[in-house]
Amino acid sequence: MGKVKIKRKSTLIDMTAMSDVTVLLLTFFMLTSTFLQKEPVTVLTPSSVSEQKVPTANLASVLVSPEGKVFISIAGDADADTKDTWGSEALRKTILDEAVTLYNKQNPSKAIQLSAQDREAFSKINMFGVPFQVLHQFLSMSQTDQDKFISDMTQKGVGIPINDNKDMERLNEFQIWMRAIYNSGNDNLQKAMKKGEGIAVKADKDTPYNVVHDVLDNLQSLKMNRFSIMTALKTEQE
Amino acid sequence: MAQIEQSDKGKKKKGAQKKMSIHVDFTPMVDMNMLLITFFMLCTTMIKSQTLTISLPSNEKIEQQQMNKAKESEAITLILTTDRNANGDVKKDEAGRPMNTVYYYEGMPEIADADGDGLIDNNKLKAEQFIGNDGKIQQGIRKILHDRNKLVLDKIEVEKARWRNKEFAPGNSAANDSIYQARAREIRNDSTLTRPVVIIKAAPEASWESLISALDEMQINQISRYQIDNINKTDSVLILDYLAKNPKK
Repeated sequence: MGKVKIKRKSTLIDMTAMSDVTVLLLTFFMLTSTFLQKEPVTVLTPSSVSEQKVPTANLASVLVSPEGKVFISIAGDADADTKDTWGSEALRKTILDEAVTLYNKQNPSKAIQLSAQDREAFSKINMFGVPFQVLHQFLSMSQTDQDKFISDMTQKGVGIPINDNKDMERLNEFQIWMRAIYNSGNDNLQKAMKKGEGIAVKADKDTPYNVVHDVLDNLQSLKMNRFSIMTALKTEQE
Repeated sequence: MAQIEQSDKGKKKKGAQKKMSIHVDFTPMVDMNMLLITFFMLCTTMIKSQTLTISLPSNEKIEQQQMNKAKESEAITLILTTDRNANGDVKKDEAGRPMNTVYYYEGMPEIADADGDGLIDNNKLKAEQFIGNDGKIQQGIRKILHDRNKLVLDKIEVEKARWRNKEFAPGNSAANDSIYQARAREIRNDSTLTRPVVIIKAAPEASWESLISALDEMQINQISRYQIDNINKTDSVLILDYLAKNPKK
């Protein structure tokens, strides 16, 4: 009887195929992804049957936290050829200038001055929501501090001040911002706002109506009667 | 990591080139890719949120009063409320659904109390829920609105059947869609049909979700004339009276 020879087999597995698959998957995810935008509060939007998609360009979205704090985020043109004038960052600077001018005109005694760095910092922020008086202090912070500051709902200096002001000669701060966005000079944004696609209101589904009502009422006073509401898609059984 | 294996089988020939096969170990590469994939998967939003476009009437008071007058016979008023616990959180029923109640009345409210017992003699207010469909059958508030807007819905149903069979523009699904949309819009705004005018009023504590649900019902029932109004004293009286007569369990 001859000895049974046990063949020595290498335990190496060829990972090339596996690597191919993972690279493909990776490419897919990289191309399809749009990053979650940072928001000071996470809200669960109510569901509806509407199938309109949220536009990614030329949009002013208003976030209402359950406590009634208001935040605004601005997105500009996505077109490459208008990017320098009306891309998100350039647009935000224009709007900031416009809003500060409006505010200073109404409150000459409390006029605020913003430096070039402040403007630069503002153009990088996705979602903002502080009163004008705190704006300089907020923009001088580092990004992590800004996030921390704005996420603390108990702070007094968080959220754009809003009230049920109907006097269009003396706008409240929320109305100043919305008017500044409307008058930014970007025609595409203005057109979208007129159609109602350019303004999106986002609130948590459990938020009491009287909290959101202030925002709706203010938009109505500004004659921005058409706007969108952010919702999630309703599932079949609902 | 990478190995170069010599394939020598014991017999070495002089002068012959050594055959080399190169193995590169891809395991670390796969590890890294998997990590990246995980990162991208967690950071992406695959489902883009939807929007619902609404238009509110302008704030001028005169206009609203005129509107109110014109449509007494067709008007139906919805009042939205939400049950909340002591902390202000929305209460849920056994099935886990938020407890949103929608009260409604048709035409003008009546708050006369002739016999003086502190209760309204003829309270037209009724209570319903947002419970959607049971299969094909409408339930709750949807059934009421559906019945009120039956003329429009029946006509649209006919067009919908034609749209499904692609009769408007055979072979061109985009044109088929747009013709159907245009026709449906025409029917929705056809003033020769009896269509309801819905006034949606939300109580201060009513959840945002309930308002969206109400707006949703407008879409589902193809109601083109609706407005969001503020709740007033009469409405509160009606609800209090309703609750006095029908106490909650």
